[in-house]
Amino acid sequence: MRDILRLLLPPLVWLASFSAIYGLHGVGCALRWPEISHQEVSLFRFALLSAWFAAILMQVALLFALHRDRFKAGSAFMQWTSLATGWVGLVAVLWTLYPVAVITACGAYG
Amino acid sequence: MTALRRHRKLTAIWASEPGWKGWTSSVNHSDLGRMFLVTAFFFFLVGGILAMLIRAQLATPHSAFVDAGAFAQFFTMHGTIMMFLFAIPTFEGLAIYLLPKMLGTRDLAFPRLTAYGYWCYAFGGSMLLIALVLGIAPDGGWFMYPPLTGPLHSPGINTDFWLIGITFVEISAICAAVELTVSILKYRAPGMSLDKMPIFAWYALVTALMILTGFPPLILGSVLLEVERAFGWPFFQADLGGDSLLWQHLFWLFGHPEVYIIFLPAAGVISTIIPVMARTTLLGYGWIVASAVALAFLSFGLWVHHMFTTGIPLMGLAFFSAASTLVAVPTGVQVFAWIGTLWKGRPELHLPMLHILGFFFTFVIGGLTGVMVAVVPFDWQTHDTAFITAHLHYVLFGGFVFPILAGIYYWLPLFTGRKRFFRLGEMAFGLIFVGFHGTFLAMHWVGLMGQRRRIETYDAETGWGVINLISSISSFVMAIGLAMVLVDVLIHAFVAVRGGRNPWKAGTLEWASMSPPPAYNFASLPHVVSRDPFHADPGLPNRLAKGEGYLGGPKANRRETLTVDIATGRPDFMVIYPGNTRLPIVMAAVTGLFFLSILLKLFWLTPLALAGVAALALVWVWRLGAQVDAGPQDAGRGAILPLAGETTKSPGWWGSVFLLAANGTFFGSLLFGYAFLWTVAPGWPPAEWLTPSLAELGIGIAAALSAALAMRFAIRSNCRSARPMTALVAAFGATVIAILTFAMLLSRVPPPDGHAYAATLCVLCAYALAHALLVSLMLSFVIARVLRGYTSAARAAELHIVSLWTDYLAVITILSLLAAHLPGMLA
Amino acid sequence: MGVTCSLLIGCSGALSVVDPAGPAARTISTLWWVMLAGAAAILGMVLVLLGAAFRAKEIGDADETAGIKVWIVGLGLVFSMSVLAALTVYGLHVGHRLMPRAGADVVAVSAEARQWNWRFAYDNRPGHTTDGVLHIPAGRPVDVAITSLDVVHSFWVPRLAGKLDAIPGHVNTLRIEADMPGSYQGLSAEYNGPGYRMHVFTVKAHDAEAWDAFVSGAEQ
Ligand code: HEM
Ligand SMILES: [Cu+2]
Ligand SMILES: [Cu+2]
Repeated sequence: MRDILRLLLPPLVWLASFSAIYGLHGVGCALRWPEISHQEVSLFRFALLSAWFAAILMQVALLFALHRDRFKAGSAFMQWTSLATGWVGLVAVLWTLYPVAVITACGAYG
Repeated sequence: MTALRRHRKLTAIWASEPGWKGWTSSVNHSDLGRMFLVTAFFFFLVGGILAMLIRAQLATPHSAFVDAGAFAQFFTMHGTIMMFLFAIPTFEGLAIYLLPKMLGTRDLAFPRLTAYGYWCYAFGGSMLLIALVLGIAPDGGWFMYPPLTGPLHSPGINTDFWLIGITFVEISAICAAVELTVSILKYRAPGMSLDKMPIFAWYALVTALMILTGFPPLILGSVLLEVERAFGWPFFQADLGGDSLLWQHLFWLFGHPEVYIIFLPAAGVISTIIPVMARTTLLGYGWIVASAVALAFLSFGLWVHHMFTTGIPLMGLAFFSAASTLVAVPTGVQVFAWIGTLWKGRPELHLPMLHILGFFFTFVIGGLTGVMVAVVPFDWQTHDTAFITAHLHYVLFGGFVFPILAGIYYWLPLFTGRKRFFRLGEMAFGLIFVGFHGTFLAMHWVGLMGQRRRIETYDAETGWGVINLISSISSFVMAIGLAMVLVDVLIHAFVAVRGGRNPWKAGTLEWASMSPPPAYNFASLPHVVSRDPFHADPGLPNRLAKGEGYLGGPKANRRETLTVDIATGRPDFMVIYPGNTRLPIVMAAVTGLFFLSILLKLFWLTPLALAGVAALALVWVWRLGAQVDAGPQDAGRGAILPLAGETTKSPGWWGSVFLLAANGTFFGSLLFGYAFLWTVAPGWPPAEWLTPSLAELGIGIAAALSAALAMRFAIRSNCRSARPMTALVAAFGATVIAILTFAMLLSRVPPPDGHAYAATLCVLCAYALAHALLVSLMLSFVIARVLRGYTSAARAAELHIVSLWTDYLAVITILSLLAAHLPGMLA
Repeated sequence: MGVTCSLLIGCSGALSVVDPAGPAARTISTLWWVMLAGAAAILGMVLVLLGAAFRAKEIGDADETAGIKVWIVGLGLVFSMSVLAALTVYGLHVGHRLMPRAGADVVAVSAEARQWNWRFAYDNRPGHTTDGVLHIPAGRPVDVAITSLDVVHSFWVPRLAGKLDAIPGHVNTLRIEADMPGSYQGLSAEYNGPGYRMHVFTVKAHDAEAWDAFVSGAEQ
């Protein structure tokens, strides 16, 4: 079971961070956070970006952990497959959440 | 013992009752797999006839063949039947039939559950069929958007048939998913470590896990909509704090993964057949496993791409647009790995391979149009047009029907032990292929010309007539092709000549059984050392028949198999299955009574039916277990194993773990719904919050935590051979306090038909209350078991299972009490 | 593009997505042609590779690693990821451009759907509503604030722009624009009950003069 969990963990963490950031974005738009800014920097954008970086860091940490002896899988096959899904998690975080950096948060009409 | 005597003896132990009566009491996976498949194909026929009616109506402009109301029932039932009553059950049937054979074991983990699942499917499906025959079928489209399907705009019983029938059928999907997950993880031939599993098992595992987490949101949505319809609780009504968008989120949270739940098993079939047809091994086994896992997860992050036109801010859409293109990567990896496999070997054009080529051509087009509609602005134009209908059929027909047809022709010799001699199948393939593309290719274009989906007719001036006529004629060509497949299969099943074992020279274990396989699959269980055990040892079938594997010495009236350690495949326990019984069909019927009582608003019957289900469930579990320790058992080949009931992590424990995973997803979706309404729905905050009460909060949490803690003490004292009565009674008492807390809370919630807040809160409390009641029932059960001597220091499995449920109760109690009290405290 | 159009049934049509009459629809139409070309090329490539697998060949001494490098890493990962990354960025760029933005010449109107009627109101002419016909000025961006009184509907004028849903309790804003004066057909594009097919409307785009007349109430 530990082997299966190890395999599922990185994409699961992606799913959690993806949903959390989508939720954060929805809440922010609903509560009109983009209108709050501090010295030209929108606090909302700042929050979204920090959440994204945190998500990236988590995936990188997971990848490192998978290389450590303590978290290694029992067999070479499971070790390889876990690393593969570890990379899936990292790529997914970068790929699916990059819009936080480039797109207007909630549109001109809030 | 000779092979023949062993066969006779095993058959006596494993066989179902003879005749049709055997169907109602069989718990054998081969029987039930076949029943699933036959029923599913029956529904395919019904769905197909509806499709023909749709195409007949759309063939020419201004057709007056049917009116808008009947047409709505047709497309709704066509989509619903194809998705819920054909595709998913076909996967279940195929997996139920094949997996134990492929994994080299004798049955699935919970044979009675297989049967219960089948009957739930059969009864739930029948409800929808009856609605169709009576002309009161659901008519809101297969995704049933409220408010159109709400009490105000669809007061008739049509929608209730959908909500109730589909939920009933989904019970069967959840049962099958729990069953398959535990079976794949634990019920394999010794030596079959994870990396030696046949690739189909990996796909089935991923699919089963997806069903466990994908279906609960829809079940929740259906429950909420049915409650809104029956009692007027306004979850989806904007003027009372509800929001119809919540349904869309819940539905597509299920709906998109559903597409991959349909595709992944088909991909498993393809991955199995291609290497055999090309006389080689699968290219990149590990890559394919990783791709399947990636696909499964990514598909849970796509649901909003069905909601690109609902006005969600662009950044939100962008996340899902990006995720939707990313999901094409693991799909691409698999497609190229398959082509690479063909390059690696020497492919032969047998009939299954033809259907696989049909798959490639069709599915690649479907995938490409899928990537197109993942691009937000393009979807703004094509959403809800015939372009989408065309796309979705390329994906579903290409990604499911073609592979399944390939699978049917591939495994047919195994099912029947015969070989084909007419060449009907080849011609049928040609008609299906040409017919399919004729039907749907041009529909992309007519969609771009502005033809919406779900319109019952159109004007001649639109210029869509020619395309629609071609499409309709082609669809009849395809129908003839599919009918020929049916004829081919029937001829094959009844009049064809006997064939030899393993006609394709495959390497997986199902071919090492007899064709058709006996009820027990293998006279003795193999020790697996490679991914293609039959290739590694061509003499395997004989040696197994001679009893040279595990469990080769049948014992009087014991259906035996063994389980293995998940990762390594080392044998760990011996399992004794229950025998034939009608308990599953009876329990499914009583479950059906529960659903009927809601459908027909016979609310006096509801509690009776529930009590009936609970009573039968108690009988169900009471029949297991023993009153004495059996001690270690000889499993042959030097393996001495304890019985599964004399361990801490029994199959039932694993089953509970995965059932709780599904249950937790349901609860999580409910919390999501609460948060969603709070932040997004108009009309919040509500006029009044629940008056918070620190005492209630504290007592409830303390009670649930104590119950969980007491269960641990019970396990501990049981371990030291003491009777765990005190701790069990304490746990029971604490659970009763939790019940009282929730009952009191429920009585204080503001009227649930006044605002979505109160309605959601009521559901949350009712959910927790139901679980507290369930746990109290379980605790009474274990107490009785302890008193009757069914437990001992060794026979502790039941205590561990109940402990899981008390832990779960503690978690949901804390979360739901906080969700109930915090808003009032903050306000 | 024109060639493809005449080869098939033709592009023009009162509801045709590929016969655009406004900037948004035109951008999306271009997007479609680009994607169609790309998809055709990829489909062709896959089919060639598939067909070539059936050529007569030596039984290659199955070399997994080389196969994995070419098929899985090369085609499966590198190729598909580069194509998809480009498409994702392009698609979002287009989407960003089509978003409604505040501007001096933007005209604001509103659309209210119910089973089975569309009622339109005009910020420039308070109190005036029209049923089944939406008046807009040609050549100027128009923001339509869309909502619903009963079930979910969708506002769609295929030749002008994509669609946007009308959802009870929510107001969604869609930017449309017609290049030229004229009539454009609009549809409800989310199934909304038995009257769905006939739930249509017309957009009348006026030249500046006629629009001024409409706003001042002089016309009709
Ligand atoms: C046997 C050949 C089939 C034909 C000729 C066919 C035909 C059609 C047609 C014409 C429609 C569009 C109705 C409309 O919107 O106007 C439709 C809708 C649909 N079809 Fe099929 N279909 C076939 C097989 C399948 C299969 C195998 C599946 C799924 C596994 C499927 C799933 C659906 C779904 C989900 C819808 C949407 C229903 C809705 O709009 O609520 N179809 N089909
Ligand atoms: Cu989807
Ligand atoms: Cu799709």
